[in-house]
Amino acid sequence: MSAVVRRRDFLRSSAAAGAALLLPFHLPGKLRGHHLSASPGSNSFSPNAWLELSANGDAKIWCGKSEMGQGVRTSLPMIVAEEFCCDWRRVQVLQADLDPKYGEQLTGGSGSVRDSYSNLRKAGAAAREMLISAAVAQWNVPRSECRAENGFILHAHTQRKIAFEELLSSASGLQPPANPPLKSPSDFTLIGKPTRRTDSLAKVTGSAKFGLDTRAPGLLVASVERCPMYGGTPRRSNADEVKSAPHVRAVIEVKSVHLTHQFGETSGPGSRNYSCSGVAVVADSTWAAMQARNLLKVEWNEPIVASESSASLREKMLRLASEPGTVIRSDGDFDKAHASAAKKIEAVYEVPFLAHATMEPVNCTAHVRGDFCELWAPTQIPGAAADSVAIALGIPRDHVKVHVTFIGGGFGRRLIQDYAVEAALISRDAGAPVQVVWSREDDIRHDFYRPAACHALQAGLNAQDQLLSWRHRGSSPSIETFYNGTGISPQASAQVDSLDFPALFIPNFRLEFTVAESGMPLGYWRSVDASGNQFVVSSFFDETAHAAGRDPLEFLLAAFGPARKIPVGAGNTLDVGRRRAVIELAAEKSGWHKPLAAGRGRGIAAAFGWGSYVAQVAEVTCDAKNGSIRVDRVVCAVDCGTAINPLSVKAQMEGAINFGLAQALKSEITVSNGRVEQSNFHDYEVLRMSDAPREIEVYIMPSTEPPGGCGEPGVPPAAPALANAIFAATGKRIRRLPIRVADLRSA
Amino acid sequence: MAISFTLNGKAQSVDVSPDMPLLWVLRDTLNMTGTKFGCGMALCGACTVHINGEATRSCITAISSVAGKKVTTIEGLSVDGSHPVQKAWMEEDVPQCGYCQSGQIMSAVALLSKKPNPSDTDIDDAMSGNICRCGTYQRIRKAIHRAASMQAGKA
Repeated sequence: MSAVVRRRDFLRSSAAAGAALLLPFHLPGKLRGHHLSASPGSNSFSPNAWLELSANGDAKIWCGKSEMGQGVRTSLPMIVAEEFCCDWRRVQVLQADLDPKYGEQLTGGSGSVRDSYSNLRKAGAAAREMLISAAVAQWNVPRSECRAENGFILHAHTQRKIAFEELLSSASGLQPPANPPLKSPSDFTLIGKPTRRTDSLAKVTGSAKFGLDTRAPGLLVASVERCPMYGGTPRRSNADEVKSAPHVRAVIEVKSVHLTHQFGETSGPGSRNYSCSGVAVVADSTWAAMQARNLLKVEWNEPIVASESSASLREKMLRLASEPGTVIRSDGDFDKAHASAAKKIEAVYEVPFLAHATMEPVNCTAHVRGDFCELWAPTQIPGAAADSVAIALGIPRDHVKVHVTFIGGGFGRRLIQDYAVEAALISRDAGAPVQVVWSREDDIRHDFYRPAACHALQAGLNAQDQLLSWRHRGSSPSIETFYNGTGISPQASAQVDSLDFPALFIPNFRLEFTVAESGMPLGYWRSVDASGNQFVVSSFFDETAHAAGRDPLEFLLAAFGPARKIPVGAGNTLDVGRRRAVIELAAEKSGWHKPLAAGRGRGIAAAFGWGSYVAQVAEVTCDAKNGSIRVDRVVCAVDCGTAINPLSVKAQMEGAINFGLAQALKSEITVSNGRVEQSNFHDYEVLRMSDAPREIEVYIMPSTEPPGGCGEPGVPPAAPALANAIFAATGKRIRRLPIRVADLRSA
Repeated sequence: MAISFTLNGKAQSVDVSPDMPLLWVLRDTLNMTGTKFGCGMALCGACTVHINGEATRSCITAISSVAGKKVTTIEGLSVDGSHPVQKAWMEEDVPQCGYCQSGQIMSAVALLSKKPNPSDTDIDDAMSGNICRCGTYQRIRKAIHRAASMQAGKA
């Protein structure tokens, strides 16, 4: 593995083995030679990029990741504050704009806590050690007798105590230690303590500023008509006519800008990557822009995708999944073993394209002045916003200033910077600050979609009803090919992971994949490939348990075998004990063995990745007659190593379960003649209050292991736990998402 | 022609196109960005405000229809989070991304004004027009029950 792991690699669930992200080591602020520290005698103490102590004793802590709901403006400052030993009640959290001093600011791959943990602890500890040094010098006592606590340095023997702020001046003159001692986890007072969010007050009073809330003097608003088919460009329009509509300032053709890089990394040949083109109506207000846009008539140069439809893609994927593909993993000898199996089962599974449908529609505000550009961007990756805009405008990268706003939902959508480029191009041409506002229809029709997929599976049981053979052939459009080009290897373009369960636990196992060519724009959707694949494998595994006449829980645990660590290469290990433990905990808390009334059922599924372990049991009530499903309860057990903020871990699991249930019960994007057929929440449905489980219970495993990710791992088990529960309740096997009434009645 | 109404207890007058939705008057004309744009079709509830006490989707409400009426937005509940529903929201740690929460809170306040002690079914009925993509529904439910008991305790 190269020393610098590519940004895009973070987004896959390939940390199935529990490996932490390998980021280039980044020293905080001054440790790298940045001169951030206030000079002695000034009114604050800021030994590095992450924190500042004011003369009144209040502390400011910067959050270097984007807050999109996952709670980083609470959990990350908690890590700094823990080691700093300041008074948490006197901490003000500030959002870091794009700046190299904060290191990698990509927010994705469930990696914020994982890749910040060590650096943020060091940043807090360095500041604390400097204050201790200042107190030691002042008191002339042995350093070992001093400690920091809640905003004070204490000397136990003499019962002396001095507030941090009284040491501000003397500490500011000290050199920050490069390797400060870190606290023992047993001494943590903040990490592991349920802590309410720091951004709640702003979010319940309406004062939180999301991207769309950016206001600036002279701000114009743009609404962009895009080709209904991905990649199409305007050929002709009635722009001149629309220019005279009320409050319209300009109608601008956004020339086709094809960006052949993703996260600032160049893509290979054959990449379609992302492009921006369309006709922008720029007006005094959002309403005026949207109204005038309705008057636009645009003829398009139709792209290649114009012939694509969900039906033809499905046919292609079903065919490809029925044929041999690129072997992603092969253990034992599937063909030979399967031929000798006592019992055989097979099934085909399907999942659709999905849109992200973040509640805050896509938007960005840009102000281009000469060869400078200022952005106010709800982005998960401000660095790529700067890269993309610099390339599109042909200006130096350090001439792009990025302000990171609150994000009204990311889920992977805001990793792609098409909207930042649009805003910059339109601002340049309009000669004014411009906010590009996507309508919900724009958002649903012009997303970068979670790929649709088909999977054909076969499994064989031996005479003792144990799993002997398993073959999984998947086919889908490939995100990796979309961004990295057709030149990448078939293995690299696979939308399946060689380490995903049940790999390693079945003696004769084969996983194959074939890319289904597609013109659809593709992207990373919360939990990426695992979002669909886990539904497939956990459902089919449940099928094998029932075929074996065994309880699915016991069959699952039997397949795992005893607790042990299995090496999986590159120094990573797969911890069977931690997998078993979450499954056993979820089962126990759900009352797995307690009988349920007729029409009710429980299902179990688990997912391992992003450094975390999650198991869920869903409990449903089904009415076979009218095909209705009610998810009564979901019990979730999570082992995410050290849980920085248990309240936030719980919130992420709850949210992930609801997100996973939305794909199970509601959401589907279909394509006809290259056009997405859905447009708003009436036809692209998501979960609502009345669909959501009345109860979600989350149990966090106590752990002192390094922190794992929490944003994504709760998503994949939700759909299969539900589908398995439906089978338990009704005997109907769900093999495609979203679940349809017809499938419940006749499957 | 100017359109006059009461906004968060104060007289307000705006001179805009009569078909402009209240949502955009609030956000673009008056720079009150607490009320959110989500769908433009009254499908998601992010833009919910109160008009004469009724929870209303401001994205499809023409400003002309608001003339002479009383409009309350999230900013009108309290700016310091002291309204019982806002307090309950913070105590239950409800928001994640937070984008939908202005609308959720406005729907919840309207519900509680009609049904001070709502059942779970009442909550489903009143809140199912408000989408939360982060999936905070269970906490919203708890927060509404908590706000109900807070308000009952005060009464």
